[in-house]
Amino acid sequence: MNEYFDSERFIEDIPKILPQLSVTFSIVGISIFLGTILGIIVAVLRIKNIPILHQILGIYISFMRGTPLLVQMMIAFYGIPLLIWNLFQININDWSPVVFVDIAFILNEGAFLGEIFRSSILAVDSIQTEAGYSIGMTKTQTFLRIVLPQSIRMILPSYGVDIIGVFQNTSLVFTVGGVLDIMGRAKTIGTATGHTLEAYLVVAFTFVIISLILRFVFYLINEKIRYESKIKVDKRKKHIENL
Amino acid sequence: MIEITNLKKSFGKHEVLKDVSLKIKKGEVVTIIGPSGSGKTTFLRCINFLEKADDGKLTIGDISVDLKKTKKKEILNVRRKTAFVFQNYGLFSHKTAIQNVMEGLVVVKKIPRDEAKRIGENVLDWVGLLDKKDYYPSQLSGGQQQRVGIARAVALDPEVILFDEPTSALDPELVGETLDVIKKVAKKGITMVVVTHEMAFAEEVSNKVIFMDGGKVVEEGTPKEIFMRPKEERTKEFLSRFITKDMYYI
Repeated sequence: MNEYFDSERFIEDIPKILPQLSVTFSIVGISIFLGTILGIIVAVLRIKNIPILHQILGIYISFMRGTPLLVQMMIAFYGIPLLIWNLFQININDWSPVVFVDIAFILNEGAFLGEIFRSSILAVDSIQTEAGYSIGMTKTQTFLRIVLPQSIRMILPSYGVDIIGVFQNTSLVFTVGGVLDIMGRAKTIGTATGHTLEAYLVVAFTFVIISLILRFVFYLINEKIRYESKIKVDKRKKHIENL
Repeated sequence: MIEITNLKKSFGKHEVLKDVSLKIKKGEVVTIIGPSGSGKTTFLRCINFLEKADDGKLTIGDISVDLKKTKKKEILNVRRKTAFVFQNYGLFSHKTAIQNVMEGLVVVKKIPRDEAKRIGENVLDWVGLLDKKDYYPSQLSGGQQQRVGIARAVALDPEVILFDEPTSALDPELVGETLDVIKKVAKKGITMVVVTHEMAFAEEVSNKVIFMDGGKVVEEGTPKEIFMRPKEERTKEFLSRFITKDMYYI
């Protein structure tokens, strides 16, 4: 233990850790995909303001936003099998811990995205809805084709930040039943070899690089989808020509 | 033919429309004039169920609905026979001009995409905006946006087009081009109801002028009758600013 950092060991650790990215990505992918759907449903139901359901969703959102994700994962991991056993007498203790991690992530995302979607749906000008109705579209068609696409465009920047947040939050999952993501793998390497720093640095670099890539991808999507951007480019060109 | 009978509407305790009736023949251009707050816009919005009337009866073509208890399906049917042109254009901001026009054709009328595109391009050409078909609303001037709004309405081939102060949000230079397009629509023989503050326009294009005040139809008649020989005192008072001496002498 006389040297703190060995670059050779750092390089050796990379191929050991990177394959576990598949676990990380599967958690991010599933929780973002299903979390988005859940978020839209939560947002719509909240806007509809149905008595009792509105309050229940309010409690759900406060709970998800008011407790740490780690606690939620623990509750999902230990609580759900007990609940299922008590309700249906089905033993799901042998299910992979990843399932419970996914459930916690989806529910957490549903709450966060639900609130983001709710405010963005309400921010779409009511004339857009009226215009949809006026050409004979049903409520559902108007929502799916007019309101939702516009609200998604509006929240795209915060959506990107959210996905990066989810990605970084996956570093917590190895504490739940030993889910072996990149962080979990780094810990096992540390335990096995007694050299932890190199492995964790590999993890850190991986997070930085992927976060940057995600940011860049969202920047590109944002630029492409922003319908005003064309105008801005035109104006910039004109401005340059005038100089 | 469109017939509205005994339409009533209140916002809370404020009675906006007190028993309004109106009959419109096929191909007729009806303009509704009157001071702000007289209920003209609300009346127009009630026809398209953008506002829900409290009482009354509405007949459009072969369908007749009781406004007191209208079913969802009936609302949809009425809306599919009407089109609405908004004061603030109401274009779908995430769709280009051509997509705005095609939306109703493809989604509501289930016309195949190619066919809808052809119709859309024809109509945009007709309002003089074919070269702007791939522009987003934010890239168009107010007058151009409103012309796309009119194109969207015309493309649906409705029984009636309802215009809600179509030029009120435009600066004076753009009013002309928009009114020209509306005149073109009128010449096409499409039934129209236009709420407007453009008196010269109302006089020129309409077959029938309705003067509304205080939630009631005060007077109705041909443009000549309303603008040159108004019977009611309130109409005379309202029009005094618009009627020039020459008009009286004609």
